[in-house]
Amino acid sequence: MAGQPPPETGAVRPETVLAIEDLRVTVHDGGATAVRDVSLTVRSGEIVGLVGESGSGKTLTCRAALGVLPRGVAAQGKITFAGEDVTSLSARGWERLHGSHIGAVFQDPASYLNPNLTVGGQVAEVLRVKRGLSRARAHEKAVELLTTVGLRQAGRVFHQIPAELSGGMLQRVMIAIAISCDPELLIADEATTALDVTIQAEIIELVKDLCDQRGLAVLFVSHDLAVIRELCDRVVVFYAGQVVEAGPAAEIIERPRHPYTQALLRVASVGDFRRRELEVIPGQPPHVGDRTTGCRFAARCPSVIEACRAGDIGLTRLGPAHEARCARVDDPAIAEASAAVAAVAPVAANGTRADQELANR
Amino acid sequence: MTAEVTAATTVSAAPLLEVADIDVVLGHGWRGNHVLSGVNMKVWPGEIVGLVGETGSGKTTLARAVVGLARPRGGRVLFDGTEISRLRGAARRRERRSGHIQLVFQDPLRSLDPDLTVGDIVGEGLKIRGGLPAAEIRARVDDALAKVGLSGTLSHRQPGQISGGQRQRVSIARALAADPKLLLCDEPVSALDASNRNYILRLLAGLRDSLGLPIVIISHDLSSLAGIADRVVVLYRGRIVEDGPVAQVFTRPRHPYTALLMASAPRVERRIGTGEGAALSVHQLRRTTADPESPSAAGACVFAARCPFAADACAVQPALEPVAGQAGERWSAACHRHQEWPDLASARPAAAPR
Repeated sequence: MAGQPPPETGAVRPETVLAIEDLRVTVHDGGATAVRDVSLTVRSGEIVGLVGESGSGKTLTCRAALGVLPRGVAAQGKITFAGEDVTSLSARGWERLHGSHIGAVFQDPASYLNPNLTVGGQVAEVLRVKRGLSRARAHEKAVELLTTVGLRQAGRVFHQIPAELSGGMLQRVMIAIAISCDPELLIADEATTALDVTIQAEIIELVKDLCDQRGLAVLFVSHDLAVIRELCDRVVVFYAGQVVEAGPAAEIIERPRHPYTQALLRVASVGDFRRRELEVIPGQPPHVGDRTTGCRFAARCPSVIEACRAGDIGLTRLGPAHEARCARVDDPAIAEASAAVAAVAPVAANGTRADQELANR
Repeated sequence: MTAEVTAATTVSAAPLLEVADIDVVLGHGWRGNHVLSGVNMKVWPGEIVGLVGETGSGKTTLARAVVGLARPRGGRVLFDGTEISRLRGAARRRERRSGHIQLVFQDPLRSLDPDLTVGDIVGEGLKIRGGLPAAEIRARVDDALAKVGLSGTLSHRQPGQISGGQRQRVSIARALAADPKLLLCDEPVSALDASNRNYILRLLAGLRDSLGLPIVIISHDLSSLAGIADRVVVLYRGRIVEDGPVAQVFTRPRHPYTALLMASAPRVERRIGTGEGAALSVHQLRRTTADPESPSAAGACVFAARCPFAADACAVQPALEPVAGQAGERWSAACHRHQEWPDLASARPAAAPR
C-alpha cells in the first residue's frame, strides 16, 4: 500500500471525510480525562472551526484525529477517516495516511522545518517519498506548489533556507507540504495565530480557495472567534474538554444559545477600536481532572440555576445542525441573552466583581 | 460608563517622552541593517499609545532604544526634559536604577526566571536598587501584585506553576514595583485568549486612569488596542507612517498601510466600520502584482512596493506631516497621496478577481 501513489484527481470522494464519535482522551496515563464525549464530522469542501480557551481540548482532539497523541495520553471512541475506522490504526497505518491523505499545519512553522535544508527541497522530499516522483519531477511540482500557495518567485524561494523567509512565507511552505499529495483533509491548529494580521488575512483566503478548488475538508483550530467567523462554515465550541455548542457559523455568531458561546462573543474583537469598557469572562475553567457534577461552565455562568449542577447535561438539538449543551437551553431568558449579544455592544461590565473573582483564583 | 468613551486628550504642555529623529542600525558598515529611520514619537502624561506594525517593523527596537538597550546611531531620547540617550557612566546608571521607565518584555514564560518565585521576581529590581529594608520590599511587592489583581499568596509560586494570564500580570507587577513614570509593554496580550486579553487591557487602562500612568502598548495585532488606546502610532519597516488619535485613525486612516491593517483584522461583526477608510476591503488596498516581502527602492516611500496607489512622487520618502485641518488633533501621516488614495481605493473592486 505504501508504494502505491494516490490517484492524481477525479477519485470520487466520500461526503464525510472525518467523523469523530464519542471521543474521550485521557492524560497522565489515564489519571484524568481531558476530552469527553466529543463527536464531530468534517465533510469535503467544508471548513469546520474548533474554538475555545487554551486547555479546552481543541488541540488534543486534533492530535487524536491525526493519530499523534503524546506518551501517556490515550484516546477512546471512534475515529473514521474517509470511511475507514482509524481508531486503533498502527503507526505504519498512520504513516500511510499522513501527508498523502491528511495534511497538517501548526502554529510555529519554523520548528517543523529543517533549518539546514532548502524549503523547496523539503517540499520535494515529501513528493518523492509519498508519491514516488523522480527528483526532476518533484522539483518541478514543488515549484508549482509554492506558486499555488501564493509565494512569488517560487523558483528562487525553492532554494532558500527557512531562516531567509518570514513567518508568513514559512507558513505558506508548510501549507504547500500539507497539500502536496492532494489530501482529503487538512488539519490546521492555530495556524495563523502567530502571523501578522495582513498575512493572516491572506492565509485565510488561501485556505478558503484550497477548500473551494480542491474540495479539501478543513479542521481549523483557533482561540480567536473572529478568525473562525471569517473562515469557517461550521463551528464547534469547546469548553473544559466538552463540546458545548456546535452549528453553522453564521447561526452561532448571530444566535449563540450556550452562555459560554455568548460570553466568548462578548469578549471577542468586534472590529471597533474606540475606547469602551471591555468585558471579561469571570473565573477560570476547571482544571483537567477536576471532578464536577453537571455543567462544567456552571461556576462561571451568569444564568446558573440548581438544575445545572444536578447531573450530566446532554446536547440538545436546536435545528438541523445546531446543538447546545445547556440545561436552560429552551429558557426564554437564555434566548434573550443571545439576542442581546447579537445586538452587539460590549456593555459596561460589573468590573469590580469580575476582577475580584479573577483575583481570587 | 457608556459604551463609548471619548478620548480625554488634554492638550497638556510638554510630552513626558520624546523620541526625536532616532536612527537605529544593527550590524556594521555597509551591511548594517536600518531598523529605525528618523523616528519621531511623543508620549504625553496619562495616555495609552498603541505602537502597531508587523513583524520586523522595528516596534521592539524602538522600545529598546527608549530604555537604552539599543544604541541609536542618531537622534535623541528625551525623558521628562532630560536627554537620556546622552547619559553615560554614573549618570546613566542612576537614571536606569531610578526605574522611571519600565519595559514589560514580550513572552513572560521566557522573560521570567523560572527558578525564582513570583515574589523574588517582582522584588528583584528593588533589591538591586538598594536602600530598602526587606520588610519594605515585601510590602511593595504585595502592593504591586495587588495592583495587577494577584493575591500575595501567589508570591511563593514559580512562573511555571501559574497560568499564562497570571504570568503576564507578574511581568506587569515587576514593572510597577519600581514605581515607574512610563510603562512600555511589548506584546502584552498576543499569547492570551480573548477573555484574558481583555482582563490585561482593562488592567492597563485602570493603571492609566488611577495612577495617570502613561503606557505604550506594542502590538502586531490591532485587537490588543481595542477599547483602551488613546493614540496609535503605525510603524512600517522602520518608519512611522501614521500617528494620531485612535478614533480618527481607525475610522478615516490617512495612510494606505493603516487602512490595510484595519481591513485585514478579523472581526466578529461584519459591517462595523463607519468611516470611508475603515469600510474598504483588503482587495481594494492590496497591490496584486507586488510581493509583500520585497523592499521599496532606496529613498522611496517604504510602502511604495506594496502600495496600489504608488505614483511617481512616491519615489521620494514622504515626511510625516500633520493631516490638513487637524493640527490640534496631533494627527499626522506620511503619504504623498493621502488626499487621493481613499477615492482611488473606493473605485477598485471590493472582491478578489476570480
